[in-house]
Amino acid sequence: MGIPSTPFGTVLRDFYAEEFARIEREFRASSNGRMATQARSALLDRVIVDLGREFLGQEPGEIRKLCLVGLGGYGRRELFPHSDIDLLFLWEDAGVESRFREAAQAIGRALWDLRLRVAPTHRLVAECDKLQRDNPEFNISVLDSRCIGGDRGLFERLRNKALPHMIDGAWSELLADLATLTRQRHRKEGDTIFHLEPNLKNSPGGLRDYHVAWWVGLISNMEKHGRWATPEDVWPSKSRKHMEAAFDFLAAARCFVHYRQGRDDNALSYELQAAAAARGIGVEPGHAMEPADWMRIYFRHARAVYALSTQLLDETLPAPATLRSRLEGWKSRRLHPGFSVAGARLSLLDPAALREPRRLLEVFQYIGKHGVKLSREAEDQIRETLPTIFDSGSAVRGLWGSLKEILVAPHAAEALRAMHSSGLLVRLFPEFRVIDSLVMRDYYHHYTVDAHSFMAIENIHRLRAPEKTWERPFANIFSELEEPELLFLSLLFHDVGKGMPFEDHVAGSLEAIEKVFTHLDLKPEEADTVRFLIRDHLAMSASILRRDIFDPATIRVFAEQVGTPERLKLLCLFTYADIRAVNPDALTPWKAESLWQLYVLTANYLSRSLDEERFRAGAGDLQFIDRILPLLPVPSSRDELASFLNGLPRRYLFAHSSEEVAAHFALARRLKDDPVQLHVENRGQIYTLTLLATDRPFLFAGVSGTLASWGMDIWKAEAFANAAGVVVDTFHFTDPHKTLELNPPELARLKGNIAEVLSGAVSQETLMRGRAGVLSAPQPKVSVPTQIRFDDVSSSHSTLMEIVTQDRAGLLYRLSSTLANIGCNIEVAVIDTEGQRAVDTFYLTVGGAKLAAATQETLRAALLAALEL
Amino acid sequence: MTRIEAIIQPSRFESVKEALHQIGVEGMTVSEVRGHGRQKGHTETYRGREYEVDLLPKIKIEMVLPYNLVDGAVQTILKTARTGKIGDGKIFLSKVDEAIRIRDEERGEGAL
Repeated sequence: MGIPSTPFGTVLRDFYAEEFARIEREFRASSNGRMATQARSALLDRVIVDLGREFLGQEPGEIRKLCLVGLGGYGRRELFPHSDIDLLFLWEDAGVESRFREAAQAIGRALWDLRLRVAPTHRLVAECDKLQRDNPEFNISVLDSRCIGGDRGLFERLRNKALPHMIDGAWSELLADLATLTRQRHRKEGDTIFHLEPNLKNSPGGLRDYHVAWWVGLISNMEKHGRWATPEDVWPSKSRKHMEAAFDFLAAARCFVHYRQGRDDNALSYELQAAAAARGIGVEPGHAMEPADWMRIYFRHARAVYALSTQLLDETLPAPATLRSRLEGWKSRRLHPGFSVAGARLSLLDPAALREPRRLLEVFQYIGKHGVKLSREAEDQIRETLPTIFDSGSAVRGLWGSLKEILVAPHAAEALRAMHSSGLLVRLFPEFRVIDSLVMRDYYHHYTVDAHSFMAIENIHRLRAPEKTWERPFANIFSELEEPELLFLSLLFHDVGKGMPFEDHVAGSLEAIEKVFTHLDLKPEEADTVRFLIRDHLAMSASILRRDIFDPATIRVFAEQVGTPERLKLLCLFTYADIRAVNPDALTPWKAESLWQLYVLTANYLSRSLDEERFRAGAGDLQFIDRILPLLPVPSSRDELASFLNGLPRRYLFAHSSEEVAAHFALARRLKDDPVQLHVENRGQIYTLTLLATDRPFLFAGVSGTLASWGMDIWKAEAFANAAGVVVDTFHFTDPHKTLELNPPELARLKGNIAEVLSGAVSQETLMRGRAGVLSAPQPKVSVPTQIRFDDVSSSHSTLMEIVTQDRAGLLYRLSSTLANIGCNIEVAVIDTEGQRAVDTFYLTVGGAKLAAATQETLRAALLAALEL
Repeated sequence: MTRIEAIIQPSRFESVKEALHQIGVEGMTVSEVRGHGRQKGHTETYRGREYEVDLLPKIKIEMVLPYNLVDGAVQTILKTARTGKIGDGKIFLSKVDEAIRIRDEERGEGAL
């Protein structure tokens, strides 16, 4: 055998200990994990051969019909300092087995006496030519078999006949078992490589995944070419270089951890990271590094290992055979001429087209929509193409539009991870580079900063199908968001400051987001919302933990900080996603419920304080004047502007950008020439109509009725008035019959109609009669019972009426005309729609006073009757 | 040895923890809990949906202390956790017969 003899008996233990110590010393000097694992394998070979000689009574080379075979890591000559030893006793037939059985058991006992953890297995060679269906681990470990001693001919039969036969007959089952075991392990480890205290063996991207890639290579080669792959041809050459570098690093780290811990412990704790970094383990032995930098190297290797192992598994698994999956595959190829999808991997049909950034981003839009992954070749092709696109430094036109589509897609996190992994994300946004694989060294965070950001985005998308009861309220809020893309954009960059030299990471993130804005063509109000979310992203969690959320003063201060219900929704979901992405248990049901309570209390405060919280040209509100004054189209004095704003609900100032308020002020100045000022703006599918006029009965009803008579669907509206009685009403509506889209001149006629109705030239009833057809709505899908609630407490001078009812055509007209008929004046109104539910809030007075109890009951009956029609 | 169990407002937890550390209390067990005493809950309405706020969020702190630290700890919690409003919480004291450190089986106050 060529293995030297080992002292036997009581001195064997001392010999093993001395040799073990020698290997450890050599490792300390060299930090070469590969060499240390090979040396321990060789040491075990010596020990096992000598034990064989002792207990089997023959020279190992002379033993017939029995072979001692190393499996798994021992078979590969990669025996880590405290790893288990998988040893197979391979028998020719049952007779030999019965003759040597006792001796084999004695070898096992002797190894245990040396305190070596041995897992002995016994098999007839004939048993090894088929899959052991109840033992997938054995089927895989036997792929790495190596003859230690005994009948070499028997071993050759195992290696060259039995195992190739087993693989030939069951390669797909073998791969499926491997995929199942890998998936289960990954799930247990949170499906991410970015653990702050990873397990060097089992975490995604660890040594187990390196070997998964190795086994897939072995099985595929045997299946395709009928021979065992060698380390040189098991993987494509590009990948091999990265994989071998990763193995060297991981092996060094694992040896270091085993020696430090004195046991088979593979957890890379913070303490061990610091110790390994201080010695430059796996990088440059003896040269100290910062632990965070050392971990970045770990993550870079883990990323390469994870990418290849999962890609190889996906590529080699047989394609799904169901008719539906085939149809979906066919459809995907048909729908996207630039790439195809096989199984769950996307391949590029025309890599040259990637030079066009829009086409490149389409790949990730597809991943976002369908949750597929890039094939290995596609990722390489993208990586190689990037310098040719971005070297010129030119901005990518329409980037925000493309990114938006990725962010709001259900698999956005998967798409962003693929963008990051291929290098595209940092090419588009160099600001992101500082948090690439960045470790937060505390016991609370489990993931690196980049992984945390992707996971936060994923947490929001998972609300599409909430699993737990306490997730449902947040899922409802998500379904109500008007601009979810702003939430996702903020989540992506909210922690970038953690990689910047700022004491407060929020300040760093705010600086970075300004640079991000230069790559994107966001509207000013969109950018403001993103700034707000990043600046205040810790406000809600701080309130839950450090403030009494049931104290009205806490709610008032927080509501003022937030400003509008839409921003509250965004911040609440941000907080939910951010906490949940810290570690798997960070968002306890207790915290989630507290967050929800803070949300509800603040949302109610915002809607119930509308009438009370008004602009007063005092010290606290001068900030608004300062912001709006420079934006006015014609020079105006502070007093003129203050006079316009005076008495408007502060909500108006939060809900509209400074530019919008400036435009409203300009309209208000024209009221002396024309008492009704109308402005209509088209924002994609949504039209926004702004009306300024002096307050009068039927004003709100007149506009809503005219819009309804034209078949427009109002889904949101606001009615505010200032102290001088100038109303500022805003109606957001869609045009389901495409009247305005197909006939643009009709817009002027619509505005004319509104002016006629408001001036009394045309009666509302006439207009509605002429358009009765468009008011017939389809049967609603969900039935929403009508609830009307009056509240005389929230406002000092108005009665608050909240009405929740089924949304239907002309609803706002029915409500507002009923209010006008009863003689109610609308002081403030906020109209909202959540799917089939209309949720409307009115602050009402009659003759300048709150509604008497009898009036409230009359109004309730009249509204219910109007809604019955 | 005495076991102290304090139910306090979440907003006071950080201050109470810091104050206890300052007087030499080194270990404690903290739980997120919900409940109500005489401070009963109420119903909130949010966009037409009724929402029961009957169990309010609290933090429970548990610690076992040698007799010489108990009075100081109680006074510290009283002083630091009090806001003067309903819902400030309660402190419960009970005697502990024995403490055993699992690692080395040391018993008595030395195990605390």
